[in-house]
Amino acid sequence: MKSSVMEKKVTLRIFGMTCNDCVKTVSEGLKNAGGEEVSLSLDDGMAILKIDDVKISPEDIAKIPVFGEKSRYKAQIRKVE
Amino acid sequence: MVKNFDLVIIGRGSAAFSAAIKASEITMHQAKIAMIGYGYLGGTCVNVGCVPSKYLIEAAKVAQNQRYPKYPGIKSIEPSIDFKKLMNSLREVVNNERENKYINVLKSYENIEVFDGKSSFISNDTVKIDSGEEMSGYNFIIATGSKTKIPDINGLRETGYLTSDTVWSLNYMPESLGIIGGGFAGLELGQAFQRLGSHVAIIKEHETIVKGIENELGNELIKALGEEGIQFLLKRKVKKVYKKGNKKIIETLHGNETEKIEVDEILMTSGRTPNIDNLGLEKAGIKYSEEGITVNDKLQTSNPLIYAAGDVVHRKYKLETLAAREGATIASNLYENGSKKINLQEIPISIFTEPQLASVGYTEKEYNEKFGKSMSRTIPLNFVPKARLLRENCGMFKIVIDEKTEKIVGVHVLSPYAAEFIIEGVNAIKNNLTYLDIINSTHIFPTVAEGIKLTAQSFYRNVSKMSCCME
Repeated sequence: MKSSVMEKKVTLRIFGMTCNDCVKTVSEGLKNAGGEEVSLSLDDGMAILKIDDVKISPEDIAKIPVFGEKSRYKAQIRKVE
Repeated sequence: MVKNFDLVIIGRGSAAFSAAIKASEITMHQAKIAMIGYGYLGGTCVNVGCVPSKYLIEAAKVAQNQRYPKYPGIKSIEPSIDFKKLMNSLREVVNNERENKYINVLKSYENIEVFDGKSSFISNDTVKIDSGEEMSGYNFIIATGSKTKIPDINGLRETGYLTSDTVWSLNYMPESLGIIGGGFAGLELGQAFQRLGSHVAIIKEHETIVKGIENELGNELIKALGEEGIQFLLKRKVKKVYKKGNKKIIETLHGNETEKIEVDEILMTSGRTPNIDNLGLEKAGIKYSEEGITVNDKLQTSNPLIYAAGDVVHRKYKLETLAAREGATIASNLYENGSKKINLQEIPISIFTEPQLASVGYTEKEYNEKFGKSMSRTIPLNFVPKARLLRENCGMFKIVIDEKTEKIVGVHVLSPYAAEFIIEGVNAIKNNLTYLDIINSTHIFPTVAEGIKLTAQSFYRNVSKMSCCME
């Protein structure tokens, strides 16, 4: 039987962040898309978060508006656990 | 110690630069990129390909126009050519282009680190350079390019030969030049050397001069080059080559008959072969053949984190234009979550002879074999008013359309400046245009590019019975 919650831990490499405001903008974008326990480092551009795969897939989290075509921020999926 | 990068690019030619710069732009210069390679920065195109060949072609055109002015009243003069001076200027142009467009450009990208040396995969995410340094990357792009393919011909190595990579170091004009292999480079260099004063013979095993082009255009080009004095020895298999005094003898088999030609130099243009040797591709799980690395339509190799671009990819043609586009496409797919694909039918090709041959999309034969019926129209160059003003009559235009949808699927041109306006064919195919869309777009009169409109008009009317700028 399929679980109603499919929690996944996603590691993203975020490009384009240059200051703490950027970190805040990207963090909020991830949270608004359903990301939980979002941890984001300006130093190495790595983000770790948890998602419910039933609601949003790892592939789609990298395509949310904060990483959209006209956004300065881009995300690359590095790991899904 | 292993150095870590977001992206490791093996190679430093067109595809590598295109990928590195695009990746830098997308990531606000934050992607840490390594570019590893050897030889001159910039790869084939700027060093031994498009740049020097187009320079020599244009210089040779000046000599030809002095010798054979096209307009009555202008006196013919035999051009005085200092070949060494010309080649020195060519090399200077190449050096300047390399410096300005590659070496200096890199100074604007602090995130790109260039390493000298040959590299080989030691695992699926690490390469080792021959200096001993190891580079690890999350993604890789293999863009190692190609080199001249040298067939196994008896005596060739001992006799000595030039290739389209080495011909640029020549300082004297060979009185006679035997070119083994036709193709883009053979035809372009053949015409340039002939016009600069050499006696050129092009020897080819097949009947067609370039694989995959419209035969009628290919034959017309052979005719044009033949009229300039180039000797075409087609359907000849080279048996052996050897030295005789200061000359070089090329012995060929034509049917059952052995023929010999005597030349001062041999130029090998028998295709290009991908640089895949000693890359350790197996260690990274990358499938390849002697034709190149296999990629999917997103340019991923069989290892999905490793991509390949440019001449090293298994492709019908090896083109700078395609290499640069592939490099940029990969960068977009990596950092913009894209799934961009390259439609090879939208990639134009050009042979920079005079007349130029430029082509995009399917040939009539290819389309019929793949999709069933097509329709086509061909008009001769002299139907185009501007061509008559240029006093050029060797050439033709051909458009292939799908029989049912009437959409344009192939545009093939042999004419002056064809490479400059084949983009109309590219846009027609890319945007699914019909021949009526071409007709309904106003073309400037008089231009050679009008030939495309005239060919489109010829699908429904006799264009030989039209006034010259009729819509």
